[in-house]
Amino acid sequence: MTNSWNDVQYTDCALIMGANPAENHPISFRWLTKAKENGGKIVSVDPRYTRTSAMSDIYAPLRSGTDIPFMGGMIKYALDHNLYHKEYVAKYTNASFIVKDSYKFEDGLFSGYNAEKRAYDKTQWAIEKDAEGKPVKDFTLEHPRSVFQLMKKHYSRYDVDTVVKITGTPKDELLKVYEAFCATGKVGKAGTIMYAMGTTQHTVGTQNVRAFAIIQLLLGNVGVPGGGINAMRGESNVQGSTDFGLLYGNLTGYLNTPVSTDPLNATLAGHLEKETPKTGYWSNKPKFIVSLLKAWYGPNATAANEFGYQYLPKGNKNYSHINLFKAMYDGKLEGAFLFGTNPVVGGPNAGKEKEALSNLKWLVAVDLWETETSAFWQKEAGSDPSKINTEVFLLPACSSYEKEGSVSNSARWMQYRWQAIKPLGESRADLEIIHELMTKIKGLYKNEAGPSAAPINALYWNYGEGHHPDIDLVCKEINGYDVNTGKLIAGFGNLKDDGSTCSGNWIYCGFYPEEGKNRAKNRDKKDTGMSLYLNWSYAWPMNRRILYNRASCDPSGVPYNKEKAVVWYDAAQGKWTGVDVPDFVATRKPGDAGFEDPFIMMNDGVGGVFAPTLNDGPFPEHYEPYESPAKNPFSSQEINPTIQLFDGKFNERGFKADYPIVATTYRVSEHWQSGTMTRNQEWLSELVPHMYIEISEELAKEKGIKNKDKVIVSSARGEVKAYAMVTKRFKPHTIDGKKVHQIGMPWHFGYKGFATGDTANRLTPHIGDANTTIPEYKAFLCDVRRA
Amino acid sequence: MATEYVKFVDVTKCDGCRACMVACKNWNDLPAEQQDFLGSAQSHAKTTADTWNVLQYIEHEDSKGKLDYLFRHSACFHCTDAACEKVCPEDAISYTDFGTVVIDHEKCVGCGYCVNNCPFEVISLKEYVDKNGDKYRKAHKCTMCTDRLEEGLQPACVTTCHTGAMEFGEKAAMIKKAEERVKQIKDRYPNAMVYNPKGVGGTHTVYVLAEKPSVYGLPENPKVPTSAVIWKDYAQPIGKMMIGATTMAVVGAFITNTIISKKKNGKNEDGGDSHE
Repeated sequence: MTNSWNDVQYTDCALIMGANPAENHPISFRWLTKAKENGGKIVSVDPRYTRTSAMSDIYAPLRSGTDIPFMGGMIKYALDHNLYHKEYVAKYTNASFIVKDSYKFEDGLFSGYNAEKRAYDKTQWAIEKDAEGKPVKDFTLEHPRSVFQLMKKHYSRYDVDTVVKITGTPKDELLKVYEAFCATGKVGKAGTIMYAMGTTQHTVGTQNVRAFAIIQLLLGNVGVPGGGINAMRGESNVQGSTDFGLLYGNLTGYLNTPVSTDPLNATLAGHLEKETPKTGYWSNKPKFIVSLLKAWYGPNATAANEFGYQYLPKGNKNYSHINLFKAMYDGKLEGAFLFGTNPVVGGPNAGKEKEALSNLKWLVAVDLWETETSAFWQKEAGSDPSKINTEVFLLPACSSYEKEGSVSNSARWMQYRWQAIKPLGESRADLEIIHELMTKIKGLYKNEAGPSAAPINALYWNYGEGHHPDIDLVCKEINGYDVNTGKLIAGFGNLKDDGSTCSGNWIYCGFYPEEGKNRAKNRDKKDTGMSLYLNWSYAWPMNRRILYNRASCDPSGVPYNKEKAVVWYDAAQGKWTGVDVPDFVATRKPGDAGFEDPFIMMNDGVGGVFAPTLNDGPFPEHYEPYESPAKNPFSSQEINPTIQLFDGKFNERGFKADYPIVATTYRVSEHWQSGTMTRNQEWLSELVPHMYIEISEELAKEKGIKNKDKVIVSSARGEVKAYAMVTKRFKPHTIDGKKVHQIGMPWHFGYKGFATGDTANRLTPHIGDANTTIPEYKAFLCDVRRA
Repeated sequence: MATEYVKFVDVTKCDGCRACMVACKNWNDLPAEQQDFLGSAQSHAKTTADTWNVLQYIEHEDSKGKLDYLFRHSACFHCTDAACEKVCPEDAISYTDFGTVVIDHEKCVGCGYCVNNCPFEVISLKEYVDKNGDKYRKAHKCTMCTDRLEEGLQPACVTTCHTGAMEFGEKAAMIKKAEERVKQIKDRYPNAMVYNPKGVGGTHTVYVLAEKPSVYGLPENPKVPTSAVIWKDYAQPIGKMMIGATTMAVVGAFITNTIISKKKNGKNEDGGDSHE
């Protein structure tokens, strides 16, 4: 999130799209309820009328997979009706930048497309630079090749009638949403967008979020209280997990993993050159990368050996979930560690993922309970154990209440938690499990030489002796310290690239700035202003609660909304101050370079309306989901032209002739993820004991299905049995004059626990987003019949 | 004069999360009882002896066809003039100083008069087997966490509710809040009303409903049945005097269950579907 949960209370309009927070982030409604009491409006856009819709002021349906037309239409609406924040757009975004004339867009493709590689040459989308290498700008936004005019031209195709035809949203409801949300473009008004997997789990997921970014920049909603682009994380610590590099393409702190396919990555110097921009705060990357290497390799990382850079594994493949399971299916993986993950229920094309597991030589599952995945080989799972040769180990993990450590919530607040009770039996904390594993592995390699052993021997594993590592040592290493004096570092501004500092994760540098002051443990309940609670937990970066909060003020440093001011320039003190920590160099004065550039992490200091680094284009463009019931009205490109395709039996594709119904999956309040925790709880299982699908009255009638009937849902990849919940909350969409039905279902169920049922993910496709490879769980095709 | 308290339930702030159902089970150590699929998000058809609070989920279309999805935390109303208290032949049901209605399970003989006469169908019997293998029954329902109130705490459901849809406080203050809330939400919920039925003397669970009571399957105008009054206040004492307590109990059971009972073939007389 750019903002926070508490901050939502200050919004004038919350657009909730691709999410159902009343069910899946219920505490958010404590704050949305406050927003309503303060006159804020709630807008719910969802294929189904959900509990969130029931709490909203405005509801509009849309067919799953049509977020870009919906938002593209909103962008056009804001531009046509002059509802955007003109000064903000001109000064704080790259709308004024002139794009090179090599940039073109025609029939669904941007310039530079290579059909064979299914990839773009992004240099074709470059910005014009002046003699000093700075972007050429037109602050009037009238230059025909300005980002602003190119955007206007791009979204001129997203007129209301075309949008209505492809989304199925009734026209008057569409306009009500546009009107309500675009009203926040007025200076002093703020709108927030709250979203989750309904936005991201598509082959165009990244571009769905980009569309939100564009509208929020146009309306001046980034950096202001009650505004922002707010991803509601689906797990208590998934923010922490991505921060700490658990994404396949990242080291910690969102640094890129060096890949061997780029020759520049052969040396540290080459890698630093490739990765480091000349401007913007990322120009400090070498300090973060070298400090990270010093954390990992300690005294074994020196200037003489490129700080251990050669010890880092450099991959040559895409190591995303869907690619790993494809490799597993093809027999290319020997073993796997599955830490608290249950792909037999949660993975896309779950039936195939289950088959893939039996190709492993060994599997280590680390869980609180035996899950559908760790038990994949059992008869109960539908397997024949005599035919499976995988050796399966189950390491019992303890729950979050039985161990200490921190979690980072959606708002980037790092909150330390203490152990409440001792773990049951032999169950252990992940920290201990990893510590013991690594200690043993290092022991096994310690007398070996050669390229395999070297990185393991060089790894500096300095967390104390014995089973239980000293977590405080881990905390200090994450924060970072001077390697010569041992003194903790106060903030990432003090990290160096000369090997004198270490830091396991630069974005958290500053959470533990001195001995005895682990700020993740801060628990002061006093509201320090605007519900920011600066002394409760620690928010990265540097405890800044609202990202880019400089943009809440005009170019001279005066807040756009004086009643909801969070930071401002204090001329008397000669610095930026406020009730939030300024996300800006506090001492920057009027006239200083960059005084008017709030987006400090961007190379040019301004927000990106135009994003030329993404794989599928600098502007979001509509493509239909991989399995679609409709023709793309915007171009002849039916699907995202840059997504990785999988051939053969691993990902059978369905077409509308056989599977005419749009399907989506979602979660309920009472169950969580793949149900390993909640379906082992009696009171939660009692609330939602059965697998069901939600089906409209109209579709039920067509199929002769009555409420409570057992039905079979089929896709190109599998079949599941479920109860039919016939409901008014789904209505058929009218897509280009034709009736298109949609159903939805929870994906929590599996064969273990108190509440069992068929696994929805046996239906979902094994295909992912063009940038992140997140699977397209949210829009595919199916058919339904009575059982 | 003891202070009466009211649990104020504003269904328009409820998001249907059901944390209140789990809080109730947790505090009262009630067992889970998985039901068959009921065709909606609702987990139980109604409250039972082991499930004292059930979230209702209602899809309601108004006369213009506009859809709303309504939620209601449903539990004992803790009536001021409770039918269950009135008809219990063993005086097992009584009022506390808080205004709550509680059952003394030592006295309860499981006759079921209370079940048959509750206008809201919230009280239920549970069957047990004693050490001799004999069956017996006891009545159960929401206690308004009277045990927590005695320690200065609020009911578990209220404490857990995260949207503030439920509040617990002095009766006059809660009723005033309810009345003001109805005015506040008239735009979004034109049919909103305070449900605090006079026919049972008002209740200690007071609702702001988003729609008419019948939309929720609630009686529009519930009362303690006159027959029950006559029976309890007049016929029973006279009968006991004339023919003895035990015979009276047997006769009483027969009369109550076949003649006076509100239930006719399982349907509540006052309820039923209603569409605008």
